[in-house]
Amino acid sequence: MDEEIPVDVGLIYEGERIRKSNMYVDLAGPKSKGAELLIVAPPEEVEDGKVEVVGPDIDAMEEGGRYPLGIFIKVAGEKLEEDLEGVFERRIHDFSNYVQGFMHLNSRDIIWCRVSKDSAKKGLKLYHVGKALIKLYKSEFDVIEKMQVTFYTDEKAVDEHIARAREVYEKRDAKAAALKDEEVDVFYGCLLCQSFAPTHVCAITPSRTSGCGAISWFEGRAAVKVDPNGPIFEIPKGEVLDPIKGEYSGINEVIREKSNGAIERVYLHSIFDYPHTSCGCFEAIAFYIPEVDGIGIVHRDFQGVTPFGIPFSTMAGQVGGGVQSQGFLGIGIAYLRSPKFLQADGGWQRIVWMPSQLKERVRDAIPEEMYDKIATELEASDLESLKEFLKQKQHPVLERLAEEEAEEEAAEEETREQEAQPVATLPELTLPAQGMPVAGSPSEFTITFKNAKIYAEKVIIRRKG
Amino acid sequence: MIIAVSGKGGTGKTVIASLLVRCLAEHNAYDILAIDSDPDSNLPEALGVDVERTIGDIREELLEKRDSLPPGVSWRSQLEYEAMRAIVETRAFDLLSMGRPEGPGCYCAANHVLREIIDTFAKNYDYVVIDTEAGLEHLSRRTTQNVDVMLVVTDTSKRGITTAARIKELAEELKIKFKHIYVVINRATEETKQKLEEYAREIGLKVIGVVPEDENVRHYDHEGKPLVELPPDTPALKAVREIAEKIVR
Repeated sequence: MDEEIPVDVGLIYEGERIRKSNMYVDLAGPKSKGAELLIVAPPEEVEDGKVEVVGPDIDAMEEGGRYPLGIFIKVAGEKLEEDLEGVFERRIHDFSNYVQGFMHLNSRDIIWCRVSKDSAKKGLKLYHVGKALIKLYKSEFDVIEKMQVTFYTDEKAVDEHIARAREVYEKRDAKAAALKDEEVDVFYGCLLCQSFAPTHVCAITPSRTSGCGAISWFEGRAAVKVDPNGPIFEIPKGEVLDPIKGEYSGINEVIREKSNGAIERVYLHSIFDYPHTSCGCFEAIAFYIPEVDGIGIVHRDFQGVTPFGIPFSTMAGQVGGGVQSQGFLGIGIAYLRSPKFLQADGGWQRIVWMPSQLKERVRDAIPEEMYDKIATELEASDLESLKEFLKQKQHPVLERLAEEEAEEEAAEEETREQEAQPVATLPELTLPAQGMPVAGSPSEFTITFKNAKIYAEKVIIRRKG
Repeated sequence: MIIAVSGKGGTGKTVIASLLVRCLAEHNAYDILAIDSDPDSNLPEALGVDVERTIGDIREELLEKRDSLPPGVSWRSQLEYEAMRAIVETRAFDLLSMGRPEGPGCYCAANHVLREIIDTFAKNYDYVVIDTEAGLEHLSRRTTQNVDVMLVVTDTSKRGITTAARIKELAEELKIKFKHIYVVINRATEETKQKLEEYAREIGLKVIGVVPEDENVRHYDHEGKPLVELPPDTPALKAVREIAEKIVR
């Protein structure tokens, strides 16, 4: 591609891994150190096209040797913003891998590079990798007007570079952690679990990591870039229908479509009405405890029982399978750190119980004034001891509970006046056992109710189609 | 080329897999990756290699760590980096160990990513030899995909050969495409050899090689000595060399 570069450069080399037996040198990696950094700089500070190597270049390295490596890129352009640094920096991985005989893994201060014997023999130097990077970046991004690359292989220079890079990463992370749903136009959806739960679609936003905990919004963005037609895809945000409950027209539309109409609406930040579905692989469950009008959380590793007297495994059976179950929500542990964590239900003010191990793990996410008010299995193993604990600690749910009790008393008097009427009375009702909790093959059973009276709190009749 | 070696426990599947790696590596002509994907097997020992970390270990570590990874660090790149680190690199071949099976957590996403990563790795080698789980489990879970040559190792029982036939059927049902599926009869004696070859042909299976009972193999196995160090002219190794030559051709 370039006369100056002694090896090929192209997409076909992207997946190239260099075995130790074919390797000329090992750069950075688990047994050495290194970092890469890309920053947006003022145009006068960027010398366009310049590649500098501080320390020995490949031709001055010993065969089979291991060296530290720093990569420092400065770009300038009228339309460039600091926010793009992270996105651009991640492309170092793709672009440097295009160079035949150059392997690059991972990012930031955990990079690992190798140069093959063949390419070293052909005269490949870091200088050339830099030249290739400049060419590739500029052809991919018009907004980059000037670009300069520096490699460090001298140990002291690498150390300084790593320190500088870490400062920048920290700043970026703080900013990213504060990224809000309001600040993005695109969410992500994941269908990886649909083989287990055909109606389950996972919605991923900056404030909601996937239920399995593996896919954050950033991870979703990266995955779509790698495989645009894969199981992870973009969801246009659409209209904000309810900012507190977290209801978006874009999410509803996609979920309706990909669940084949089984799920109509989803609230991202509530366990009531339209809670998010899950496949069964959530890291934790948030569950409503009506007796105290609070919410408990239990995670997969917890072996004991919840105040309901049942362990995680039993509860998990009720939550997964791609159905919306009132008062139950499968979540990733990262969601506990979300600033919108169950905000429609009162957030941390509503949490009454969690296993001590989990409480410790997310300690930094729990508001200080709430930390001591949340019971663990050590203080409350059943509903009685939980109530006692909450009273003792003056948990905010008590206020809610008192209000509700007053309301209920008033309401009860009303209902007593009119006896409940069945919504349907049938002399005989036969149901196929499909979906019923009956052992054996479902097609072998039917269930017949004689003189059935059906009572319901609410009856919804919908016109089909 | 991806070669999977499967077969029921006790048939000598790992012996065949390790000898195949040795034969392919003999002239240093190829880049070879051995993958130990059977948690009950001892391919690393047979190859005389120590494994520090397995893919299973990496998966567990990263499932644990991931909610504390900074937002700018990709979990996926991290998995790739750690997987590369887990490869044991020797002069003759590389080895990747899949490790223990999954715990109770959710592995959909992790496995999906790891499969992609390993597929990418595999493309960098001339030959990938996978010592895969015994029985039919791995097929029904579709973890062995895009295999060029499937070797089913069987003992000298008629039942062993019937199992091979079932593996073939199941693969067809699951629409897993093997370019070739062959039977390797292990620990055969002259008299059983002919009968079994005939039986295999009857039920539509092709026998690529018959590996004789070998005192040396038994001795090395018993002593826990790496099978790759067997003398070059021992009968079992010679038989596997012939199989390797047929595959390479």
